[in-house]
Amino acid sequence: MTLLIGALTLGIILALLALGVYISYRIFDIADITVDGSLTFGAAVASVLLVKHGVNPVWATTAGFIAGAVAGSVSGILQTRFHINSLLAGILVMTALYSVNLHVMGRSNIPFLGAATLSTYCEQAGSVIFSGSETNLWGWIVSSADLTMLLFMFIFVGLIALALWAFLRTDLGTAMRASGDNPQMVKALGGNIEHYRIFGLALSNGLVGLAGALWAQYQNFADVQMGIGMVVWGLASVIIGEALTGATGVGIAIIGTIIGSILFRQLVAIALSFGLNPNDLKLVTAVFVLAALVLPNMMSKFTFRKQKRFL
Amino acid sequence: MKTEASLLTVNRPLVTLSNVYKTFHAGTVNEVRPMQGINLAIEEGSFVIVLGGNGSGKSTLLNALAGSFAIDEGRIELDGQDVSQWPEHRRASLIGRVFQNPFSGTAPSMSILDNFSLAAKRGRFRGLSWAHSRHLQDELRDRVRDLRMGLEDRLDCAIGSLSGGQRQALTLLMATWIKPRLLLLDEHTAALDPKSADQVIALTDEIIAREGLTTLMVTHSMQQAINLGDRIVMMHKGNVLHDYSATQKKRLRVDDLLSRFENIRRRELLDESVAELLRARYI
Repeated sequence: MTLLIGALTLGIILALLALGVYISYRIFDIADITVDGSLTFGAAVASVLLVKHGVNPVWATTAGFIAGAVAGSVSGILQTRFHINSLLAGILVMTALYSVNLHVMGRSNIPFLGAATLSTYCEQAGSVIFSGSETNLWGWIVSSADLTMLLFMFIFVGLIALALWAFLRTDLGTAMRASGDNPQMVKALGGNIEHYRIFGLALSNGLVGLAGALWAQYQNFADVQMGIGMVVWGLASVIIGEALTGATGVGIAIIGTIIGSILFRQLVAIALSFGLNPNDLKLVTAVFVLAALVLPNMMSKFTFRKQKRFL
Repeated sequence: MKTEASLLTVNRPLVTLSNVYKTFHAGTVNEVRPMQGINLAIEEGSFVIVLGGNGSGKSTLLNALAGSFAIDEGRIELDGQDVSQWPEHRRASLIGRVFQNPFSGTAPSMSILDNFSLAAKRGRFRGLSWAHSRHLQDELRDRVRDLRMGLEDRLDCAIGSLSGGQRQALTLLMATWIKPRLLLLDEHTAALDPKSADQVIALTDEIIAREGLTTLMVTHSMQQAINLGDRIVMMHKGNVLHDYSATQKKRLRVDDLLSRFENIRRRELLDESVAELLRARYI
């Protein structure tokens, strides 16, 4: 049960990453590798503020969002002002961020060791809400700190998702979505597609940075390697979400992405508990995403051939 | 009506192109010169048809006005302002456009309502107010019903699921949702089947007449050129070759236009044969 709660919590935290990837991958139709750097960047900034400067966890987490947004806007500026291919821009920013992150953190790993974080907040809140450090959940004995963390993350991510949904339905958000769908049209209707791209990538990577800050606080350490391969993780979540919901509208796509992230984390937890070598995790994730990208195409070709035979 | 309009117009034309030059891929084998010192003035309220063969520069003329690229030389004035340096999205506050390709004018994966919520903010600030206002929905339903295409109950459908004709009709409605100072139509019926093309042309004529829009319309169809508009500008090799005013245009028939084109072609052949001759003699 503790394992399940842990996987659920992490799945929900990483849903923010998946939402960020949804913006870059589905709205702007680019694979934005900046994510790999900005996740760590958010975690690094938040952890340094928490551990070295003793900043309030709420502000430190907000700083994680801002750090990610800065990384995203650099990527966006490279793509629009300097006309650098989106993939290359992502690679450049991600690579640069690796050094930046090391500088920010001062070393490759920061353990939190008793610093006040959202986790310690949840621990305190949990013992009050559930009156005791352990609680009985349908016959299972679980830590109230873990349960509170899960509830807190669930509500927090739900609010963020609601805000994102609302934003994508405003004039600005609609124009942003359209600028990925048909830039020519948006220009003809007076939209500055460069600004939308920069802003969209800032928002996307801001969410990723936020995920990084929360993840670090959840696992009680930040590591300079934690972002590696996370864009693929986000893609997997988005793809699972689309497969489950059929994703027609923005709202459904957002819900699907969150469910996708939770489900994917569960799958990984189950696979690991059944003895999957953790070293193979990235390989399996990559193969999964590849299959999800290739299979629908092959399926439609197959059915098309079958139809042709009948004609 | 027409004479009234011409009497009412102030001395200053709405659109002025003075000595506009543009060369693409300069200095390479692909060099094209679609604008070679174009001078053109368009009065407010006039409906100008632009004709010309392939590569004559007619689409480039529209794109230059819309700001799709920066011109090399010259000056473009719109509504009393020098817009030569304005980027495309800024000029959109004055200009409505419909493209040749039905896929260009709408965002395919978004709903009809989404698309119109963008059109309702053409050239205006886009902030954090709700895109689908009740007011917009009601007005949209009414105006889409007027199209008689049965789309009023499908406002939440993705626009990509509609036919080319439906999309062009909607694009036209979007381009004129906020009354533009200038409407640019770039062969907007060329990609449609004849029946849809007729529908869209009828709609075009209706909207332009009702709103009194200043319009520039590029077409390949001589019939459209004769039936529509009050002025014909014929382009050739990046310049204006003939300019028929409203009174001249009334006497014009399809055959006249075709013979003009025949003349151009003959002259071009002559050019080439002369060039051939000279080359044979001197090289």
